[in-house]
This record gives sequence, structure tokens and C-alpha cells, in this order.
Amino acid sequence: MATSQAAPRGSSDGVPRRRFLGLLLGFSVVSLGAMVAAPIVAFLLPPKSTGAAGGGKTLVGTVADIPLGQGKVVPVGSTPAIIINTEQGVKGFNAICPHLGCIVAWDQGAGNIVCPCHDGRFNASTGAVVSGPPPSGLPPLDVSVEGEEIYVVSA
Amino acid sequence: MRIPTDARRRLRRARLILLGAPIVLVALLVGGSPAAAQDPEPTPSLIPGPPAPTPIAHPGGSGDNQCAACHVSLDDKQQAITQAWQEGIHGKGGIGCADCHGGDPRSDQITVAMSEEAGFIGIPSRDDTVGICGSCHSDPERMGQYGLPTDQYSKYWTSVHGQRLLEADDTKVAICIDCHGSHAVKKASDPTSDVYPLNVPQLCSRCHSDPTLMESYGIPTDQYATYEQSVHGQALIGNQDVRAPSCTSCHGSHAAQPPRSSEVVDVCGKCHTATQDLYLESRHAELETAAPKCWTCHGTHDVAKSSEALFFHPEDDPPDYECTTCHEPPDMTLKLNVEQFDNEADRRCDTCHHPESLIYPQVEAIAGALAGASSAQETAAEKVERARSLGMLVDDAENALAEALTAYVQGQAAVHTTLLTTISGHTDESVAKANRAEELAQGKLDESDFRRMAMIVVIGLLLANVVILYYVLRRIEHGQDQGQDAEPSP
Amino acid sequence: MAVDDMPVPTPPVSSARPGTLQRVDDWVEERLGWHQLAGVLLHVRVPIRAKTFFFGGITLFLFGVQIATGTLLALYYKPTPEAAYDSVIFITSDLDFGWLIRSVHHWAANLMILFLVLHMIRIFFQAAYKYPRELTWIVGMGLLGVTMLFGFTGYLLPWDQRAYWATVVGTEIAGGIPIIGDFALEVLRGGADVTEATLSRFFGIHVLVLPLMLGAIVAVHLVFVHQQGLADPKEADPRPPAVPTGRTKPFFPNYILEEVIAWLFLLAILVVMASIWPAGLEEEANPLVTPEHTKPEWYFLGVYELLKHIPIKVVGILTPVVFLAILALLPFLDRNPEIRARKRPVAIFLGIVTIAVLIGLTIWGYVS
Repeated sequence: MATSQAAPRGSSDGVPRRRFLGLLLGFSVVSLGAMVAAPIVAFLLPPKSTGAAGGGKTLVGTVADIPLGQGKVVPVGSTPAIIINTEQGVKGFNAICPHLGCIVAWDQGAGNIVCPCHDGRFNASTGAVVSGPPPSGLPPLDVSVEGEEIYVVSA
Repeated sequence: MRIPTDARRRLRRARLILLGAPIVLVALLVGGSPAAAQDPEPTPSLIPGPPAPTPIAHPGGSGDNQCAACHVSLDDKQQAITQAWQEGIHGKGGIGCADCHGGDPRSDQITVAMSEEAGFIGIPSRDDTVGICGSCHSDPERMGQYGLPTDQYSKYWTSVHGQRLLEADDTKVAICIDCHGSHAVKKASDPTSDVYPLNVPQLCSRCHSDPTLMESYGIPTDQYATYEQSVHGQALIGNQDVRAPSCTSCHGSHAAQPPRSSEVVDVCGKCHTATQDLYLESRHAELETAAPKCWTCHGTHDVAKSSEALFFHPEDDPPDYECTTCHEPPDMTLKLNVEQFDNEADRRCDTCHHPESLIYPQVEAIAGALAGASSAQETAAEKVERARSLGMLVDDAENALAEALTAYVQGQAAVHTTLLTTISGHTDESVAKANRAEELAQGKLDESDFRRMAMIVVIGLLLANVVILYYVLRRIEHGQDQGQDAEPSP
Repeated sequence: MAVDDMPVPTPPVSSARPGTLQRVDDWVEERLGWHQLAGVLLHVRVPIRAKTFFFGGITLFLFGVQIATGTLLALYYKPTPEAAYDSVIFITSDLDFGWLIRSVHHWAANLMILFLVLHMIRIFFQAAYKYPRELTWIVGMGLLGVTMLFGFTGYLLPWDQRAYWATVVGTEIAGGIPIIGDFALEVLRGGADVTEATLSRFFGIHVLVLPLMLGAIVAVHLVFVHQQGLADPKEADPRPPAVPTGRTKPFFPNYILEEVIAWLFLLAILVVMASIWPAGLEEEANPLVTPEHTKPEWYFLGVYELLKHIPIKVVGILTPVVFLAILALLPFLDRNPEIRARKRPVAIFLGIVTIAVLIGLTIWGYVS
């Protein structure tokens, strides 16, 4: 708005008018350039968060974190997952109990997955309901162990 | 059983006195009163059932069955009976007509096979039928090969059905064949069988929903209709979930009878194990027989999804406090009767704990803790939803919400303990998690606001540039016009 | 002509005093003689009466936006079924301005098709496809086809439920084409089903094949436009082509400046759309669960609705093919040299009916 009001004053004679036009165009080019360049540069910089590198695999821990016979609940994207190091290998399941939506936990003593809300229990290697109110088992996740590191691979 | 319980109570009493909480003392006075300690429901003495008769003796082995050869070609009724028997478990297992009806199955002559000399009984009377079935089914020798239990016969006589048969020779009561069928007996695991778990409610209702039949016993007939609407009925009938309880899960099958008040917690706890454990920690459980049981709050056949409405009556509908709701005349001992809680509206904490009572503040505090957690979650969920509707990704907030829900549901379950500290431990955690979710969602909303602000700045800049360029264009055109005026083009 | 261009301050600094820019310009000019080339390209004249509404130029601008944002997205996108979805989430949520780049790419794609169609409609009603511009029209049809393919291939890349099933249905339709159907289906999907093979080939086509094709066809299109100048909507071009009649204005800087102003408006629209309706993402693709309502993007909705209502599948698939063929051959089917709308009632009527039917089908497809 200010620029258009300022215009008539500069137009009185040739050279200052050209200079003024030049300034305006310069401002235009610089402001537009900055506007476009800023998000692009920010986009190109590596992300600040140390989280998932955007792959299909999420690092959920190491074998040292979850030794044989133990389990742990970890976040994988939008849902919590439970990772268990069983005799049959490292298994992972969606940790949301299908009964009322509580997050399940690992029961070291009983050797199965337990929902703390209503004592629903799930098999550690298949996710199937062992006892309690859950209407269905826990959906299994694709888990891969590479060296010491445990990943959940999204399907 | 009683002695250890008393010992336990004494121990607990000592501990509680040490704690010295006045509320506890009041409850203790009630709970420890001598009236409550004596069993208000003494186990009624049962009429013993007769011993199992010996199986019907008849000539011929299990392979002999000339009866079917004729009966299959008689009238439609006989044909249907024969076919039903052939398809049933007995027909397939070599249990023939004579095993129940007597007679000589080797002969195809009516005069021989169905003669009194051969021990033919015809249609057994309803009185005798239980014994005929029981003669084989209570014999471990015979049943062993099928892995079947042998206690059905003795159990039956303990049931209200069996007792009534013994007591009044009332043959209208259910006997074996009313549930299992006579000729077409099927395995209980066969989904087409009437005694398959999913079909049991329908089976029981054949008699129990019949007003003319039930009239003489003074039993209501709405149980099936009520059950059908309950969470249990919907799970079993609606969702075909065989884990859900049918009539027999609570009443028993062969030993069918209403669970006694003292048994209810164990009956429900058969499935609701975690809840039972929590309940047993509660002050309610300490009251023993006079205690509020599962049905006091949840009802019997009409168990509904529980909600916070179970705490208080709505403001506009205060309960009528009558002493007899919880106390039984003449000595006004503490006693809760099922009938008093038939009406769903009466199943609330403040039906017993009226607002002037000492325990009321604790009830309020428990309800408040849950309501607080619930509203914290609602606020957070609403914010997360708003952030999502603005196109933001809300994974982390949803994770926190799931954690809040977990703690909240645990808090809900912990209500059975009636212990404020246990419950508020869960609800405080739930509130904390919900606040965390809200915080994360707020971050997204702020980010979205930032985007909009940035958008406005960018739009402003773009429009300023439009104005500039338009101005430049006009100046150029102006210059061109002047140039043309000065030197007209050829 | 030269006189008209004299007062133009370009570049601005150079007009004030012989500064750095002027010296650089001189240095390059001495070696390349590029003023002559720039003169040929820029110093053409445009009929004052030509009303382009800048539709074509805006489409070109949006193509530029797509190249810029698409290149940026390709730096982080991972074209495998395991990683695609997560990499899109990563771009959208973890990278600074990732949401902006992705949303702008999303909206610019939609606007590009919209403006391309508007451009076609403008050309049709102004009869600018007639002599001598038949070839420009046909090449333009090629641009339409390539742009639609851009939309079709790009749609799969986020690998969410909507993307996956739209591709399943879309390739299924291609499989219904007579004779070459099975072949087309196999080639599109890279196998019998929509799998990782489909994803990699759609990605390759989207980021390599189509941009090169579109770039080349746009270049041809622009050369044609440059050779023929803008059509005058009031007067047919005389034969043989000669200098434009009527009043004209310089293409540079006048028309270019106007065009840039239009682009700035478009940029503003893009920013608003990206900020208020950022590109979303559904659940990750699951080949085992078909969502209840699978609908294609709006620009395929008309065809989608048509297919639902034509009982014979082959006819349904051939109808849009025949329609496109008629459209492409329009300059040869419509031999009437008249360009004023009042004098070509049949063409105008058919054009309006066609547009109404297409809009109607699209709306029907949207609400059904």
C-alpha cells in the first residue's frame, strides 16, 4: 500500500522514476526469492529430530535391552508395540489390547503378555488370547533382528 | 472355612484399629456386627436323590436292533423317531431302542420283541426317565471310553428341577430329555445341538419364558428378554462369542439353581478374575454375607456396560432413603436383597451411602477422581481431533492418549477395591498422560497457527509484489504511450 | 519496434549506470551474441485484443512449481512398499516445511489440470485451434494426456489405502480396453497385481519419463506459439500468415509482467491451500483390505461415473477414448473457418453441452 502511494512523487522526472522502478523491482525479486528459497533451504537441511530416518524400519532397541525371556513396550509410529525376546526368536505385536484399548505389558513371572486393565493374557510368541476378556489376539508385527539391533518393519 | 475367615477378620480388625481412620471404624461396626456374621442364607437341606438304577437288561448284544427295521417303514412319526435315533449319538454309538425301551431287539416279531416277557416298557414315564439315563451315565465303566463325566445323575437331584421332582413328584420340571432330546441326542460340542453353549439361552427359555408353565412356581418369565439385552446376551447371541456366559454358566446345568448370594462373587469371578481379585481387597468384601455383591451394582440377568452413572443418582432424582433398602427388619441388620436392586435406577453407591453418611465423601472422591481423568481425556482427545482435522500428524499425542486410557481403565477396574488411594493412583496417572497428550496436541495447534500466520505474511508479501509489478507495468505502458505520441510508428 | 522497447529499465540497475550487471551482460554478449537470440524470443508483439486469461502461462508456471517441489520430495522419498509410506510421513512431519513442499506439490498438481482444461476451453471458444494453429492444438492434447498420466502415477506414490486402491481400480479399467487390455494391465502394474513392481515403475515414470516428455512437448508447443503469435479472437488470421493486424503490445515486458502478476496470484492460492488444507495421508496401503469407498481423483471422476452406468464394459472404456480422439482431431473435423462465436452456433452449442455433461458426471461421481 505504501509503495503505491509513494509512486506519484517519484514519477515527476525521468531518472529518479527509473531509479524508483529499479528499487521496486529489486525489492520484488529479492522478497520473492527469499520467500521461495527459505522453505527450500530449510527442507534440504537434515531434520533436527533424531527419530526414525523415514525408512520402513523403526529401531526399537537392542538385544541387550531386551534379553531372552523379557519384553518391552516401545512406540512405533502412531501405535505402541510390544517386543518380546522369546525362545522362538524376537516377536513383536501391536500393544493395544483389543478389549478396551489399554496398552498391554510384559508379565515376566507368567511368561505371557498381560493387559493390566482386566487381566487379559496373550501368548508371547503368537499373540493369541490365553485368557481373559479380549475378543481377539494381538496383531503381530514384522520384526527383524540385524546384529544386535531390533527393528519393526512396517508392512 | 469359617474359622480362617474369622481369624483373618480379627487380624484385619486389629490392623484397622491401629490405623484409626474414623470411616473405617464406622464400617467396621457395621461389618463386625454379630448379625452380619451369621449366615443369613443357611444352605437348605436337600432331599437325597435315589441311587442310580441298574441299566435295563435285555436279550441280545449292542449290534442287535431289529426294531428299526420295522419302525422305519411305519407311519411318519415312527419313521422320524427312527431317523432321529440313527443320526443321534446313541444310534451311531450302538445304543439301541431296547436300551431305553426294553424288549427283545433280536426279534422282528411284534409279539416277541415288544412283549412283557421280553421286558418291554414302551414309553418310559417322566419319573423313570432320569433313572434310565442315569443308569448308564452314572457308570464310570461305561462312560470312561467317551471321556464323559458321571456326576450328572447325582447333580440333577440337587438341582431345583430334581428337588421339585423328588419333593412334589412334579413331572413338569425339566428332565434329561427336555434339554438333550430323547431320540436325537447330540453331543454338547455339536453346534446344532440344543445344549451347545450358543443355543442354551433359547433352550432354557422354552420353559422359563412360558408364563403358563411358570405361573405355578411364581417365577418371572422375563429373564431371557432381559438377558438378551445384557452385555452377556449380546456377546453370546449377538456376537456368537462362545466364551460369553449362557444361563448354565451361572446357574449350573445339571445342578441348576440360582447362585446363592454368598456364591455370587465366585460365580462372576469365574470369568472376571481380575475384577474379583480387586473386589476381594475392598471394604465391601470384608462385610462377607451382608456385603454388596456384584449384582448390587451390576444386576443379574440385565448386566449392562458399566459407567460413571453407577456412582450417583442424577441430581434431579434423589433416591428415597428407606432403612429397609439395606437393613432387614425386625432387628435391622445389614442385608441387601436382590429384589431391592431389581430396578436399574437403584444400583448406585448413594442408594446405600446417603449424602449424610460418613463414607459419602469417599464415594464422592472416587467418583470425582474418575470423572477428572475422564474429562482430562476428553479435553485432550478433542484437542488431538482438532489438530488432526487441521491436517496435522498427531501420532505422539495419540500414543499419550492410549496411555491415559490405559491408566483410566485400570482406575475404573480399581473402583472394585473401593480404596481411594489405589483408584486415584491410576486416575492421577491418567490425568498426567492426558495432559501430556493435550500438550502435544497444543504444540500441533500452535504449529498450525504459525503456518496460518506465516501464510498471511506470505500472502501480504505476494500482494505487495502484485501491486509493485502492476505499478511497474503501468509506468512502462505510460512510457510506451508517450514514446508513440512523440514518434508515431509508420 | 525498437523504439517501443527503449524505455524499458531492464535490468534495472543497468539503466541507472553501467554497473556490474551491465559489464557482465557486455562480456557475455561479446562472446555469444545473445541479445539477438533474446530479441527473437522476447521481442514479439501481442494483439491487444487477445484475451488469454493467462491460463496457458499459469499451467506452465505450475509445471515449474511441480518440477521444483517434486525434485525436493524425490530427495527424501523412498519408492519401496516398505518405506514409501513412512518416508512420506517423515517428509510431512519431521522435515522443516516438508508439509508445505508436499502440500504445494499436491495442490499444484490439481490446479495444473484445472488450468490446462480452462486453457483448452478458452482455445475452443476463441476458435484458436483453427488455421493455422491445428498442430498446436494436437500437441496441446499430448500435454493433456501426459499431465493426466502425471496425476495417475503420482497418486500411487504415498502408498496409503486411497492411493493403492485407486491404482488397483485405475489399472483395472485400463485392463478393460479391448485387444490390448491385458497387455496394458501387465505393463502398467509390472505384473498381475499392484505390488512393489508397480510402485517402482510408477515412480520411474513419474519422476523421469513424464517430466522429460512434458518438457519436450511444452517446448514444441511454445515454439509453435512463438512462430504464430497469439490468436486474435475477433479476426481470423489471414492466409498466408502475416504480421498481426489490429493494435498490438510488446510481449516483453508488458505481457510477461502481466503473466508474472497472474503467477503471483497462483502462488498465493497455493500457499493458502497448502496451509489450510495440507495434503493428508490415509492408513498405510493394505492389499488385503478394500476400503468401502474407492474413488479416483476429481479429474477422473467423470470417467469413473460413466463406467458405472454403461452396462457394457468395453463401450464404457471406449467412450472416453473416442471422446479424446474426437477432441484431438477437432481442428480437422470442424472445417468452418469462422472464428466469431455468434457465427458458429453448432460448435459453441456442442462445446457447452460437452462441458455441462463432463461437469455433471463429475459432480454425480462426487456425490454418489
